[in-house]
Amino acid sequence: MTLISTDAAVASSARKILVVDDESHILHVVSLKLRNAGFTVVTGSDGQEGLDLAHSELPDLIITDFQMPQLSGLELCRRLRQEPATSHIRAIMLTARGYQLGPQDAEQSGIRRMLSKPFSPRHLLATVNEVLNEAA
Amino acid sequence: MPSQATITDSSSGAAASVPTAVLDTLASRWRCSGLFISLLDPAGAVVYHDSHASPFFLEYVLAQFRAELGKSLALGADRIGRAPVDRSIPGVLLDIHPLIEKRRMQGILVLAAVDAAIDRTEDLQRAAGRLRLDAQWLLAAARRLPPADDNSFAHRSRLLLDMLHDQIRLAAVQREIDSVSGELSGSYEELTLIYQLTASMHITRTPADFFRQACTEYNEFTGVRSTGVALTVGSLPGAAPAMFGPMSLPAPELHRLGSLLVDAFNYDQSPIIINDLAASPSYAFLGRHARQLLAVPLFRPQKHLGALFALDKIASDFDSHDVKLLISIANASAIYLENSILYEDVRGLVMGLLHSLTSAVDAKDPYTCGHSRRVALLSRRIAREAGLDEAQCERIYMGGLLHDVGKIGVPEHVLSKPGKLTAEEFDLIRRHPAIGARILKDVKQIQDVIPGVLYHHERYDGGGYPAGLAGENIPLIGRVICLADCLDAMTSTRTYRKAMPLEAALVEIDRGRGRQFDPALADALLRIGDGRLKSLLAAHHALGGGGTLLDSAGDSAPAIGETR
Repeated sequence: MTLISTDAAVASSARKILVVDDESHILHVVSLKLRNAGFTVVTGSDGQEGLDLAHSELPDLIITDFQMPQLSGLELCRRLRQEPATSHIRAIMLTARGYQLGPQDAEQSGIRRMLSKPFSPRHLLATVNEVLNEAA
Repeated sequence: MPSQATITDSSSGAAASVPTAVLDTLASRWRCSGLFISLLDPAGAVVYHDSHASPFFLEYVLAQFRAELGKSLALGADRIGRAPVDRSIPGVLLDIHPLIEKRRMQGILVLAAVDAAIDRTEDLQRAAGRLRLDAQWLLAAARRLPPADDNSFAHRSRLLLDMLHDQIRLAAVQREIDSVSGELSGSYEELTLIYQLTASMHITRTPADFFRQACTEYNEFTGVRSTGVALTVGSLPGAAPAMFGPMSLPAPELHRLGSLLVDAFNYDQSPIIINDLAASPSYAFLGRHARQLLAVPLFRPQKHLGALFALDKIASDFDSHDVKLLISIANASAIYLENSILYEDVRGLVMGLLHSLTSAVDAKDPYTCGHSRRVALLSRRIAREAGLDEAQCERIYMGGLLHDVGKIGVPEHVLSKPGKLTAEEFDLIRRHPAIGARILKDVKQIQDVIPGVLYHHERYDGGGYPAGLAGENIPLIGRVICLADCLDAMTSTRTYRKAMPLEAALVEIDRGRGRQFDPALADALLRIGDGRLKSLLAAHHALGGGGTLLDSAGDSAPAIGETR
């Protein structure tokens, strides 16, 4: 597939990103895109695994699906937000088209951006860089 | 990028590349059992070896490979099943696996272990001597390694090869997943691009805006320098070819390319892909500006609408993905374009009919020729100045056009009577807003325009007709048309008085602020100023709009209320 050449040029200095989604093809697509751009990628296939990985890996950023069995993406982000060790971690949420996040939810969960599925991986990468470059 | 060695999966016959990392992992696991792994290229040179192996392997076995033995092994591997070649090292058991990919030998995997019978091997002394190694030291090194007999060595190397094949399969599966993910990623991009395009196919958007978005998205997605569009003559009248992106062609070349493509797609709708323009006879004229061209038709059933084209993909040649995506965009664009054309067609018909209808009404009185069109233009201009959105401005234009349609029900001799009207005659005149509203009431598409017709004679202070509404109770469209109507009436010669100069009329408008006119709208009109109003109406004249006497210096100055 032809992808624009900005991928590898991103100065990401091996920043670590945790990707959580119960659909494995999303995990593959997202991690391929991020790895090609020079990020270190850790993946989790449900909210609970995402929570455990966030604790053990302390990523710079979390990209999580909203709709997941057991622990939703929003709940995952809320819990991380409540704990001092993980409260600084920024998040990008993937949702079904048309879903809107209330300002209160965003505040309580550290979610900086929402992307609706199907999303453009190119756009996701741009969003990741944007969020990482934002002041904490 | 890790260096890669290739190896044949002997069980399935499928060939695959082995990353050095895979060999390293296996080598470290098997080191303690005394197995040494090395990979030679087809000429017999060592390309990989377990660098943490015992000095026995590194100083002795590897050195043997590097001496003549590597070549001999390569020859042996090449001749397996043919003439036997000497490929032994004294005191060492060797297992040799040629790696075949696509019927060609890609390399030789060599497994080695210390022969259990090494103590009894006399040749070891001589071999060590040739390499200037101390035989006693070598033997001591060998004794620290687990020795193997033929059977156990064969067994172990078989196990190792099985593991290696598993690793190869795993690596292949991983590559496959990456490749499928890459494809999927591309499909996601396409899907979002097409989604965004279809979501932006509002009919009210101009085709230029639509194509700018489509072309810019395609540029970003495929990394081409420019994407453009050329339409067939008659699909959108007057639409010249256009291109969007950091690169652009000079106008003559762009037009030539446009008509060339449009002509070509007349006969054959398959995509045009040229990766070296300078070498292509028909397109060589582009050679100075661009290297590559990809073009696809804009096609609807039975309808050839034009072509989409992309120039210069920077990174590589155009591939099937680029073509597929441009076709998808072209298909979506063609639907949009066809709708735009149909919409323009119907809109043109409706507006044409409205103009004809209102001209017919204006014609009842030779002095009001062109009045409806001018009121429409002025109303729209005032609405824009007042900051209303474009859709609202267009509705107000239509209202201006139709505002006097009710005069069709007023006798001609009353409309064109010079001098003062009797009370009865004036009563007849005052009916025209209601008559107009009644004429239009069953046309469901213009319900929002009717208040403009019905209330264009209301006054801001409540002294107008037919309802005597005041202030904000008068619908906005009625207040706008009222202003435009009065301005045009004052500046036109009527049967009952001569035209007033525009400057004087504007003074009257100012005087009527808050009494006859909505003060905010009057201010908007005054802001436009006489200069711009004159050029607006002059442009209307150029379109054949009928006579107004805006510039004539009439000396009679009738009161505003006198407009009929």
